[in-house]
Amino acid sequence: MNHALRRVSLICLVLFVLLLVNVNYVQGFEASSLANEPGNGRTFTSTLQFQRGSIITADQKTVAYSKMNKTFGEYQRHYPFGKMYAPITGYDTLFSQTGIEQTENKELSGSDPALAVHNLIDLITGKQKKGATVELTINSVAQQAAYNALKTQGKQAGVVALNPQTGAVLATASYPSFDPNQLATLNGTKLIANDKQLLKDPNQPLLNRALNATFPPGSSFKVVTSSTAMTDKGINPNTQVFAPTQLKLPGAPQPLVNFDGEACGNGSGRVPLITAFTLSCNTAFGNLGLHLSAAQLQRQANLFGFNNPNLTIPLPVTPSNFPLYPDPAQRAGAAIGQESDTVTPLQEAMVAAAIANQGTLMKPYMVDKVTAPDLTALSTTQPTVLSHPVTPAVATNVTNMMIQVTQSPQGTAHVSAGTQATGGIVIAAKTGTAQNGINNSGLDDAVFTCFAPASNPKIAVGVVVKGGGQGADAAAPIAVKIITAYLAAVGN
Amino acid sequence: MSAIASPSDQPLGGGRNAAAQDGQPASAPMPQGRRRTELLMLAFVVGVVMLAYANVGLGLNGKVPAGMFAYGLSFAALVGAAHVAVRWLAPWADPLLLPLAALLNGLGIVMIYRLQLAGRGGNPGVQISTMSSNTTAFQVAYSAAGIAAFVAVLALVRQPRTLQRYTYTLGAIGLVLLALPALLPNSISEVPGTTAKIQISLGGFTVQPEEFAKLALAVFFAGYLVAKRDVLALAGRRVLGIDLPRARDLGPVLIAWGASLVVLIFESDIGTSALFFGLFVVMMYIATQRSSWLIIGFLLFVFGSVVTAELFQHVRDRFIVWLDPFKYVHTVVPSSFQLVQGLYGLGFGGVLGRGLGQGAPYNTPLVQSDFIITAFGEELGLTGVMALLIIYGLIVQRGLRAAIAVRDPFSKLLAGGLAFVVALQVFVIVGGVTRLIPLTGITTPFLSQGGSSLISSWMGIALLMRISDTARRPAPQPIQDEGMTQVVRAG
Repeated sequence: MNHALRRVSLICLVLFVLLLVNVNYVQGFEASSLANEPGNGRTFTSTLQFQRGSIITADQKTVAYSKMNKTFGEYQRHYPFGKMYAPITGYDTLFSQTGIEQTENKELSGSDPALAVHNLIDLITGKQKKGATVELTINSVAQQAAYNALKTQGKQAGVVALNPQTGAVLATASYPSFDPNQLATLNGTKLIANDKQLLKDPNQPLLNRALNATFPPGSSFKVVTSSTAMTDKGINPNTQVFAPTQLKLPGAPQPLVNFDGEACGNGSGRVPLITAFTLSCNTAFGNLGLHLSAAQLQRQANLFGFNNPNLTIPLPVTPSNFPLYPDPAQRAGAAIGQESDTVTPLQEAMVAAAIANQGTLMKPYMVDKVTAPDLTALSTTQPTVLSHPVTPAVATNVTNMMIQVTQSPQGTAHVSAGTQATGGIVIAAKTGTAQNGINNSGLDDAVFTCFAPASNPKIAVGVVVKGGGQGADAAAPIAVKIITAYLAAVGN
Repeated sequence: MSAIASPSDQPLGGGRNAAAQDGQPASAPMPQGRRRTELLMLAFVVGVVMLAYANVGLGLNGKVPAGMFAYGLSFAALVGAAHVAVRWLAPWADPLLLPLAALLNGLGIVMIYRLQLAGRGGNPGVQISTMSSNTTAFQVAYSAAGIAAFVAVLALVRQPRTLQRYTYTLGAIGLVLLALPALLPNSISEVPGTTAKIQISLGGFTVQPEEFAKLALAVFFAGYLVAKRDVLALAGRRVLGIDLPRARDLGPVLIAWGASLVVLIFESDIGTSALFFGLFVVMMYIATQRSSWLIIGFLLFVFGSVVTAELFQHVRDRFIVWLDPFKYVHTVVPSSFQLVQGLYGLGFGGVLGRGLGQGAPYNTPLVQSDFIITAFGEELGLTGVMALLIIYGLIVQRGLRAAIAVRDPFSKLLAGGLAFVVALQVFVIVGGVTRLIPLTGITTPFLSQGGSSLISSWMGIALLMRISDTARRPAPQPIQDEGMTQVVRAG
């Protein structure tokens, strides 16, 4: 019988080897996918047992922190500024995360490999594990001005302010917004009810209109068209361009007209480019579109950041669109920001920032640095160049044209963003009034892209107000409020 | 140790020479009792268990548990008593089996203590509704009863072969124990919250007779197969290279198969039915050395599983849930909630575990019985689970070693069967909770909460130690050194 017993030993060995291999698979390999299984209460409960790191602004204002909730015996997230910072911080709930809470989760929750040594020391010394602090590039003064300005005008809108030299995001506001504190509750039933209510809201408060909503750019796209023409056709602001009252488009039944069908300038049909830009003549820029190739326009748009699906700041950014327009009539429309062109407010800010930074576009970013609980810096973001859309000479020429938009008495933003509105600050800007809906029956979207001070740019702003009407009326005052508040805070 | 040195210490009765072993140098290559090795390892076991116990308190509330000293003393006294009994009753027995079993039992008590404290007395977690505040005290009492049963088996069964006399008596007792819950009303035999009819619950006291039926039937199978093994092994035809038994010799295997199906159908106890059938088939194989029995047994098992899965929804549900557990977490029937919570626990533990008292095993329903290995996986990690599996593997290996070493065929079969059933039981339950095979609820030997399993496991260890004692006992030396007397070795 010993032969059979040895065989049985072998069978037993196989049984145990199978068990050992399987537990290795489950606990070694499958552990992370089990942890990410929705409904795994252990994963989330364990994150509530220690203090998640805070999110602070560049000027050390705390915008998200965790505090022990004695009733639940767990740490609860608090957002002291509520709706104002919601598009930035996002939320951290039982079920999901958004915003910085999501993108910087590893650092905030302390699970980042960079924190492993800190965690080990805390384990040995018996100190409680704590998450890292995320310091944003956001300036609280600019952010407050941005959100309050959007709230005052009351329409759906998004705004982004950038530091043109570094790409640091100074403010990002979206309206209407939501209060992330509603979703930070530890009461599961309440959380589900609040979540349902936010999802049902027709105003889509959860949508980040600064980064994830796109709008037609309208005339603000003329900055890109001018840059293309100066780069590829070698023209300058003083070059006389064709600017009829009506521009006949090949193969199109309707001619291209200016705003309200007015003549451009003195009605002679030829004006300097700077005049066409200041008055925002559609026919002049439509004509430029006819003379530029589809590839030239798209190449320039791409350099400014259009058609980039991979941009993260680190929040994901919805790409702004500028397709190839082989059809000349469509290309003329696209050159004045109509047709299929779309932009996010961030894209508007990026165009202004590139011009302000002598033609160099810096990659926008929101997280300045991550600090361990013992205040040692774990990582600091270094500004990086995203592209060089135009030469410094072209940038200077475009800047001069954008200054005329606010400084010339005929400029489209002279009233709303001229020196008398800004307290002496010279803003370089371009307005946009994008037609909307079938046969342009919808309310126009108001667009404004600008930077200031024009001689020494410190801030670039992109604003879009949905259904705001003319860019100068609805969008420009928002940018002015942010610029004046920010420059008053940092000194100009 | 040397039997030559003092003829008066001949290990004839086993008990008489126990005291004489100590202090004598091992001068001759004779088999050794190795009781001091056993004592040393038992001291190590007590140390490990005490550390684990302290760890639970430190993990839960940062304090060493108050009753640690009294608890440690009582555990040490229990294993000490078992050790003294082995010195007296089975001095030549394998020195590893007792420490291995004691370690599992001790760790089981520690885990039950940890689970009992969850959500109780200001400790973190959620109170486990199926545990009371004196569950651990009961488990310690069951352990005492288990060790008492261990000593009793060693004392009553001085020669394994004496059991052979009771082959059919024990066979009948085994079948009755197995069938009893099926015949009793549900109110007495059904496990609350399940459809399994596997217990006898009277006056707040619960017994699971199948745990004892397992031992009785192992003895019965051994006795029956020793008597019939020649005819089972030799008669029959050879088809396709496989020796097929005669049709009439298939009778017993079909009866065993039928009995296991009856258990499965009327008691909803898939695990136990697989266990009995597997035990029988492997013992048939050991007795006859014919691998055709393994093949026939395996095919019958597969056939039985497929047919019952077709016929019975609750059997089919086990398969459905096994294949796609995450789909049925929130459904009532079938429900994978327990399985998935166990898996979450294992994943949460990862490689090194959360530490005793610092996981969340209370999330898994009935974690203290069938799913206790997931609690170990969560708090001691992959490392702890592998250590436990290796301890089980060592018990099986020591049992099979005794089976190979012993001469008497009945003892061989019994030891082989008892060792294999430990391996199979661990495979069925650990494989079930780790989703290697469909989950069927049976106890984890020595670890799960409950008296029947613990006591019967200790009795099984006692039988294995008795058989290894018989195998390792040196042959009596001739009393006169004349070389003329022929000594016939007993056992």
